[in-house]
Amino acid sequence: MPPKGKAAQKPKAGSSAAATKSPAATPAAPLSTKSTKATPDQQQPQSSTVAEKSKHNFTLCHPFEDLTGKNSLSALPTQADQLVWFASRLVTRLPVRSIGAKGQKDLWKTVNDHSLPPRGFNIRKHQKRQQQHKTADSRGRDIGEYSTKEWELRQEKRVTLSCLQLQSQRFRELRDRQKRGFVDSQTGDTVLVTDSEYLEEKQRRREMDRLKKELYGTQGMGRQGKLALDPEWDDVVPIVVEDPENALAAIAYSPDYAEAMSYLRAVMNSKEYSPRCLKLTEYIINLNPAHYTVWLFRAANIFALKLPILDEITWLNQIALENLKNYQIWHHRHLLVENYYPSISSDPAALSAFAASEREFLTQILAEDTKNYHVWSYRSWLVGKLGTWFNPEELKSTEDLIDQDVRNNSAWSHRFYLVFSDPENCTPGDKYAATEADPKVPGQIVDREVGYAEGKIRLAPQNQSGWNYLRGVLVKGGRELKSVQSFAEEFVMGLGEEGEGGEGEGTGEEVKSSHALDLLAEIYKEQGEKQKADLCLRRLVEKWDRIRGGYWQWRRDGLGLGEVAA
Amino acid sequence: MSRSMWRRVQHPMDKHCSRYHSVTILPISGSCLSTGRLDLDGGAALQPQSGYIRSSTGNGGSTSVLAWDFNRTQLKTDHLSMTDTFQQLPEVLKLATSAHVKYIQSLDTRKDEYDYWLTEHLRLNGVYWGLTALYLLGVPEGLPRSETIDFVLSCQHESGGFGAAPGHDAHMLSTVSAVQILAMVDAFGELESRGKGKAQVGKYIANLQNRQTGTFAGDEWGEEDTRFLYGAFNALSLLGLMHLIDVDKAVDYVAACANFDGGYGVSPGAESHSGQIFTCVASLTIAKRQDLIDKERLGKWLSERQLANGGLNGRPEKKEDVCYSWWVLSSLEMIGKTHWIDRDKLINFILQCQDTEKGGISDRPGDMVDVWHTLFGITGLSLLGYPGLELVDEVYCLPKSTITRIFGP
Repeated sequence: MPPKGKAAQKPKAGSSAAATKSPAATPAAPLSTKSTKATPDQQQPQSSTVAEKSKHNFTLCHPFEDLTGKNSLSALPTQADQLVWFASRLVTRLPVRSIGAKGQKDLWKTVNDHSLPPRGFNIRKHQKRQQQHKTADSRGRDIGEYSTKEWELRQEKRVTLSCLQLQSQRFRELRDRQKRGFVDSQTGDTVLVTDSEYLEEKQRRREMDRLKKELYGTQGMGRQGKLALDPEWDDVVPIVVEDPENALAAIAYSPDYAEAMSYLRAVMNSKEYSPRCLKLTEYIINLNPAHYTVWLFRAANIFALKLPILDEITWLNQIALENLKNYQIWHHRHLLVENYYPSISSDPAALSAFAASEREFLTQILAEDTKNYHVWSYRSWLVGKLGTWFNPEELKSTEDLIDQDVRNNSAWSHRFYLVFSDPENCTPGDKYAATEADPKVPGQIVDREVGYAEGKIRLAPQNQSGWNYLRGVLVKGGRELKSVQSFAEEFVMGLGEEGEGGEGEGTGEEVKSSHALDLLAEIYKEQGEKQKADLCLRRLVEKWDRIRGGYWQWRRDGLGLGEVAA
Repeated sequence: MSRSMWRRVQHPMDKHCSRYHSVTILPISGSCLSTGRLDLDGGAALQPQSGYIRSSTGNGGSTSVLAWDFNRTQLKTDHLSMTDTFQQLPEVLKLATSAHVKYIQSLDTRKDEYDYWLTEHLRLNGVYWGLTALYLLGVPEGLPRSETIDFVLSCQHESGGFGAAPGHDAHMLSTVSAVQILAMVDAFGELESRGKGKAQVGKYIANLQNRQTGTFAGDEWGEEDTRFLYGAFNALSLLGLMHLIDVDKAVDYVAACANFDGGYGVSPGAESHSGQIFTCVASLTIAKRQDLIDKERLGKWLSERQLANGGLNGRPEKKEDVCYSWWVLSSLEMIGKTHWIDRDKLINFILQCQDTEKGGISDRPGDMVDVWHTLFGITGLSLLGYPGLELVDEVYCLPKSTITRIFGP
């Protein structure tokens, strides 16, 4: 590094006006004048930049060097000058003893007369060195343009950085000694790295990172990821997977995520199960909750470390509320419950407490998204696992949801499952499928359900869920459809009739539910009243549910009434 | 409960005079009123004022159309060729094929807006979606074949299974995507020579079956879902290795998932959902056990998925979404009841969901596009016989040409 910044303070010969200019600026400067060396020192003006000072120093130390190469022998004015120049070259580049004795005598005389520097100056090395050191700071500003003050500030930062690096090194040594179980020679205690020292180290690294970024920018020596700065992860070598240049379907990761993933690969490879791995999984889940491998690794950690499942469930609840459309969360919960169940299966109090806490959370999350399929399928699985079909709270909770939104098909479906999979009321196991009648179901249950469905249908006659449920209940209970004929007829009035003004067929109709028409068509067909059935279906095709015309027409064909014109 | 409205109509494409139409609006479902569109037409191009029933002979050629004109309650027969119908549409309602191809091809560059969809755990699946869409759009060379094969094989593990990306653990879903991609590009030979071989893949899948219940897990951690069951059937039948698993037990499990409303859920007792219905019906179709399906009940339930704006939803009282134009439609196709929905309305809906400038299809009109919905919108259109698209196989979600090549005509 060429000396910088020292020339201003040093009283040195050659600070005249001639010396402030570089040799290149004065191509024909007479070199043999001694004035360049003998003039008294002059303080550099404070506003001069580092580059200028550097050059100034250089000319002082190497008065006869010419970096630009413009000076040549022929440019020098007098022969005496040329001789001096030649001598300066000779003394630095040649083994002087190879010249004869007389030549040496002359040479040394010239050197002493003109105070030529005898030490060699390798210009190529100098230029290479110049290139190696960054001449631009982190913001792209040329360091040569710095003023003295700025330069001093920068040097201070570099010194601070070095000190911090020393301290960090000391921390690492201390930790290494702790790992090996060293004993402190003075106090006799084993070496211990305290928590406060850990924290200090973390802060120190952040500070170092910041300084490096300020001094040298983000390339190379610059910013590192959060985990690389964390002393806890020092011993883990991350497995970095880089996409090849023209990778198919390449992915744009954020650097934090990429770094976290490379650490995850490393610990999964080494099958490490520890608190820091748990923290890492939590960090990655916050970045990308849909990554299924990290969930599985988290589960493995929890089971290996034998952490309390209920705490994990509490944490999971928070994540579930933030990520409503996530499969993995619910499968994770499934795994946790599978693991937890054996410990409470024989304790009815614990079972009911757990069921109650789960129900509370499910109610909370369903308030956010009432029809979330993952939540509902987990709920029905949980009911089966814990055996809470008969629990009135469960049924009431489902009823509440139907009350809030009678169109919630998930709630209806769950109710069907609760009522008709309850081992008290039904044949357990899969002897009778959901679509088959089950003789064990008590008549009063069927009545109750039919009544419930009818009540809810009246609130929203066009809602499919209620009608599907009603039908399902009748099938399950082995009832005939015609038992609800009068109920269905409540919704259809004056089918096919003309209105008072005689405006044409159908204008006198009042149909509150196309599903009622559908059911009536089926009932009439069962009873052999084919014309009535055909009327219902025809009105569905023409008016009440045109978009499904193909289906209604197929039903009409199935009546066997022959070709019909509308 | 009905309202009649008389509106004067001028269709922008109509060269003829406007006609007066009587329209009856029915509050069949809440969304009918909210869409606001009355679907009135002045010419033959858009039909919706009358109901149309198409016979299922369509493969892009001409189909006969029975048009019911309700004002006059007469039966009219119009022979309209599908191509004519759709060529008369304005630009915005045609399929922007070249834009979609460009969109899919651009997915393999690093772009922020696709971050969410091309996340690491979906990368191989994303390639499958993109490639199938390109095949159906008639541009099979859109993604480079050898690079695709290299990428797919780089995701394979010792066990035979495939991960979602190189370095990822093997999982059923990515394994199935890998097998589907290799089937499409006809690379089972490369799987034998450079990969771990078909038998190893079959072994990996077969090991994921729960031999007590018959269902399949996604990976060694055991999440069970009928999606994985369908995936196993799909991949193993393509590889010709169905004998490795207990098909009957799996079929019993699927049958147990049948619900009181005719649909199927993710596991016995779970709510019926169109996606799960597709997996169950397709599994039963591959196992040649469609006799277990109550086709009328199921077809009715599926036909109820169509909303007044033509789109399909996944469950009662939910919003429409383009991807259900695959799950619901292919299920209907498999049980032979596609004519139970209004196909033109659905085509219109899908076409409205596309971004004709930048390409891609979104879940409903106006939302952000992504490759998942692009694929399923295109498969939906292909099933409905939209001209210019390759035929898609409703069971495997692969081009029909691939299926004929593997199984014979």
